[in-house]
Amino acid sequence: MASTANEQAPSYPTAIAFCLTSTIWFAAATSFGMIAAGYLFAPDFLANIGWLHFGKARPIHVNLVLFGFVTPGLLAAGFYMIPKLLRTELFSEKLGVFTAVLWNVTMLCAIVGIGAGYSQGREYAELPWTVDLMIVVLFVLVIFNILMTIRQRKESILYVSVWYITAAVVLTGTTYGIGNVIWKPDTGALLGIPDAILLWFYGHNIFGLLLTPMGLAVAYYVLPIATRSPLYSHTLSLIGFWSLIVVYTHIGTHHLLQVPVPTYLKVIAIVDSVAMVIPVMVVLINLWFTVKGKWAEIHQDIGAKFVFAGTIYYFFVNIQGSMMSLPVVQRVTHFNNWVVGHAHIGVLGFAGVTALGGIYFLLPRITGKPIYSRFLADLQYWLVLIGITGFAIVLTIVGLIQGQAWINGETIYRVLPQIQPYYIARASLGITIMLGAYIGAYNIIRSIFFNPGATAK
Amino acid sequence: MYFPYLIAYMLAGFVISLITFVWALNAGQFKDQQRARYLPLQGETGPASARPSRFYRFKIIILFTLACSGLVSTAVVIVLIVLQNP
Repeated sequence: MASTANEQAPSYPTAIAFCLTSTIWFAAATSFGMIAAGYLFAPDFLANIGWLHFGKARPIHVNLVLFGFVTPGLLAAGFYMIPKLLRTELFSEKLGVFTAVLWNVTMLCAIVGIGAGYSQGREYAELPWTVDLMIVVLFVLVIFNILMTIRQRKESILYVSVWYITAAVVLTGTTYGIGNVIWKPDTGALLGIPDAILLWFYGHNIFGLLLTPMGLAVAYYVLPIATRSPLYSHTLSLIGFWSLIVVYTHIGTHHLLQVPVPTYLKVIAIVDSVAMVIPVMVVLINLWFTVKGKWAEIHQDIGAKFVFAGTIYYFFVNIQGSMMSLPVVQRVTHFNNWVVGHAHIGVLGFAGVTALGGIYFLLPRITGKPIYSRFLADLQYWLVLIGITGFAIVLTIVGLIQGQAWINGETIYRVLPQIQPYYIARASLGITIMLGAYIGAYNIIRSIFFNPGATAK
Repeated sequence: MYFPYLIAYMLAGFVISLITFVWALNAGQFKDQQRARYLPLQGETGPASARPSRFYRFKIIILFTLACSGLVSTAVVIVLIVLQNP
């Protein structure tokens, strides 16, 4: 095998297994997303297929994106970078591969469970109880493997990426069961408003304490290497890490400002949402100063290109999120498609694009060959970029139409015809993202299994 | 009654974070920060980079334009909303 790296380099089977997991579920998740988007402008679309109606396709799409595509994609990079940064090997590659296989089984169970009507009906927590248990087991396995790897490290200092990934899996593994009310298997929920409070503490932390820290871990690893520059400031990176842990953990109640929850919870949520500007700008200043003047190097590495684009979306989604937590803004932007656009910028634009960047960054380093086709990777980059940017613009417009109609007391059914053209545009943009997912799947699978090693353009 | 669950949820994160912070402080994780900046670069023998394409500058401009238009749109919308809802 031709190799540009060390001949004795480890093969990282766990990272490869998670790459494949993420790649395949990205294609599946966008397919379910397309089905859901179809219902929005053509309500009779596939109406006779019970397990595929909107109420099932939508939560399947959301959970596959969160737990099938983005999390495994970021974990793939994590299982590669943690041993490298700690100058050791992964504690157990066998355990890692087993975790990846079980991860795929869990995602299959999620589709079957929600498709069969066992959704628990709580946003980001729809998965049936048995699947909840499987996810807790998965996180326990990942935590064990990572903590044991840290324990056997030969590098005393933990680089900020190690901090972020470890915090993400430990905090999510700990809080997943509580947020999903796992001790009530029949409903997976408390009663009334307390359930909403608990759900949104958990729901927002899926982004804030799982996807965000893992995405930032990948950015902090990929960008210095791609630009061959040391990190601008490791001290600053740790300030960003700890301030994220302090601030981001209790902003979930900003989803409930129009709801009769205790005022102190609302105040905490609003203040900390605005305060998120601090950890966000600390991270971005650090990363952007690291790559300052190194645009050519970023452009040369397709992985770094994805990751850098992810940092731009990270900026937008967080500044937008801070502003959206203000009650006066929420009067227009909440309970409509503005929030859906915001969620897509965050989950796909930042975390998803960063996960793709991590995969493209590590593949040549693991296989010792360039990726199968740089052209296809560039094509996927632009398809996803155009898709998600268009998505954000269209959904923001729809959200404003719905928000103003709500304020003016307009009935919903009179607004629906006004927004139907935008839903068609949304579905069209979704096709570009789905196309990008399938092209990426082909490219990544060819890069791993059928790569002649000389086709990079 | 949501307090027990809420407190359990917040305590879980808080206690873990506090224990970890104290450990990091005692283990010297906040020392030698200059060397830590270089950790990703150690032993990095990544594949040779491809030459940048001739569309490099064009792509950067497009990306920058997209970014700026998104920022301006968001700012305009927020200002309008605030002005319309004093």
